[in-house]
Amino acid sequence: MVRFTESTITFPYTRSLGPVVGAFMTALTEKRILGIRNGEQVICPPMEWDPSTGAELPRDLVEVGPAGTVDSWTWVPEPTEQHPLDRPFAFAFVRLDGASTPLLHAVDASSPDAMSDGMRVAPRWKGQRIGHLTDIACFVPGEEPQVDGDDLGPAAEPVQMMDYLARITYRNPVPPSSDLVVDASRQHRLVGFRCPGCGKTYVGGRGVCPIDSVEFGEEHLVELPHTGTITNHVVITPVQYPGQTETEPFARVFVLLDGSDAVLGYQPVIELPVEDVAVGVRVSAVWASPGEESDEGGGMGGAFGSLIGWMPNGEPPVDDPDLVNRIF
Amino acid sequence: MIPAAVVGVGQTHHKTRRRDVSFGGLVREAVFRALDDAQMTMADIDAVVLGKAPDLFEGVMKPELYLSDALGAVGKPMFRVHTAGSVGGTTGIVAASHVQGGKHKTVLAVAFEKQSEGNAQFALGSGKGASLGAGGSFAPFIRSYIHRSGAPEHIGWKVAVKDRQNALKNPYAHLKIEDISIEKVKSSPMMWEPIRFLESCPSSDGACAVVITDEEGARGRTPAWILGASSRSEPPAFPGRDPVRPLACLTCATDVYQQAGITRPREQIDMAELYVPFSWHEPMWLEAHFLAEEGDGWKLTDAGDTEIGGSMPINCSGGVLSSNPIGASGLLRFAEAALQVRGAAGEHQVDGCRTALGMAYGANSQYFSMWVVADSLQPFG
Repeated sequence: MVRFTESTITFPYTRSLGPVVGAFMTALTEKRILGIRNGEQVICPPMEWDPSTGAELPRDLVEVGPAGTVDSWTWVPEPTEQHPLDRPFAFAFVRLDGASTPLLHAVDASSPDAMSDGMRVAPRWKGQRIGHLTDIACFVPGEEPQVDGDDLGPAAEPVQMMDYLARITYRNPVPPSSDLVVDASRQHRLVGFRCPGCGKTYVGGRGVCPIDSVEFGEEHLVELPHTGTITNHVVITPVQYPGQTETEPFARVFVLLDGSDAVLGYQPVIELPVEDVAVGVRVSAVWASPGEESDEGGGMGGAFGSLIGWMPNGEPPVDDPDLVNRIF
Repeated sequence: MIPAAVVGVGQTHHKTRRRDVSFGGLVREAVFRALDDAQMTMADIDAVVLGKAPDLFEGVMKPELYLSDALGAVGKPMFRVHTAGSVGGTTGIVAASHVQGGKHKTVLAVAFEKQSEGNAQFALGSGKGASLGAGGSFAPFIRSYIHRSGAPEHIGWKVAVKDRQNALKNPYAHLKIEDISIEKVKSSPMMWEPIRFLESCPSSDGACAVVITDEEGARGRTPAWILGASSRSEPPAFPGRDPVRPLACLTCATDVYQQAGITRPREQIDMAELYVPFSWHEPMWLEAHFLAEEGDGWKLTDAGDTEIGGSMPINCSGGVLSSNPIGASGLLRFAEAALQVRGAAGEHQVDGCRTALGMAYGANSQYFSMWVVADSLQPFG
């Protein structure tokens, strides 16, 4: 039975809208909806280019709507938090009066029975508009535009940028070897996997030998020593970004375990100031205090399970000119 | 194989931020420049190949769908290429292969990045904390190169100065550091020892496009014939892996030279655009592309051989060190090689350049893409 872990990543991206979509968004803050002329047609929402040929369009923006006709629709019985409305609603293609193409938006209708092709709808504007398609909260049946709450008026400046908070939640399978490595680390044991093909020893729960594609299991487990030598290293000055956990320069080191061909990549160091990190420094494994353990499997390097990093063990440094080349 | 040639090259002015244009507007700047250069219109294009860095960089999933109408690809085959930082190069190779295989006559390759709308450290760290970033990943490799070659530390500074001076000759380059000097580079902050700030690439918004066509399409135009095109990959980590001389790099270079009929790369290649995001990659890649003997790459840099006018000019455009719209960076290398053999590189033109190498690499130095272009199909007689 494969175990899965769930992760969510989010990032506040920005979008430059360009001259045409920027003008469209600016107009939305003024409760106006713009289309762009393309020959006999009016495209709404407007585009910078002819969607069928890619030819540049003259910047001939025209106001459409505000009411329009539903071309087609589908009912959303169970909205999620990413939907525009928190109650059942319809997604509809709304062809605004004067437009040749439909705009996709939500229609707030009481039930699917209230929806039909050809029905007339009008926008319900948000009171506070920022230059985003959701400045139209939704469309409502009828001809008359509405405003939610107090109308706070248009944007003070032309809208050129849009915030876009992206979020994705995904599930990753955990290879059985990762669980074996993490479980052993709970007992302060460092284990690796010896590939029966190439004979190399791998540390961390990456699951397979990258040379022979052998899938690792219990039968490949080998006990590894808790001491080793730093072969190479890097000190990172952290750049701040959403999700960043570091504020001060931090080191990551490569550790070649004693009597083994296994190198642990990108390991944290403990009680070793960044200025003292060097090739040849002798180190020992450091295990987590209760509550500090992680579920990380170390498949892509880094600390894993109850192994939180490496600290100098006081032994004299190793002077081996080839050590620095042992990165992998 | 059907001979294929680059007949049009276009790129944007690369900048920290291009807030004035949408994604579509950005790629179209490069595309129309490439079409103008080729004396073609979108109607002449039979298929479009799009490359950019992984989606996490800007948070646009499937940009190939989102941009298909902006690229005039409606009703035409549209392809997306994914090979991390090498993607721009691979995009050129995929586009070329459609022509070489006879599937399409004229293919547009487009690559872009708008780094300002996301965050590279976030994306490279897969959205987790403590991201190493590219410099953090490559610094240990560079330490290993310096150790085994015995190169003095000023080599990295020299590359940084040379590429920034070349950028001053390239109207499209992002960084224009008029007073760049060894002193300035060596006193810039240490970012990822041994890499200093001015030895590192910038974050750029930009795009690049090339038009590739067959012999008939090339008639009456200025072709850069694609004599060889190759890509190789290897796993990110395995025991014995040598990131200073990655096997994927050595085999890719060997393959592309063999296709091109190159037996003495150092003599037969007139210039190379190598993917050098950190200054030390120049000597390292000179060696891993057989443009210098193992251990001697830094000596070429030190002697000035890699300058415009030197015996082995490298990154005459200013390189990745001067402009880095990641997804486009590889295609910019390939495009500069094409410009050089077409004699169209302006102030950064290498006199008499007939054969050039374009190269890109990506991820943890594990994807490699290369092409060799020349001003004729038989440049070596």
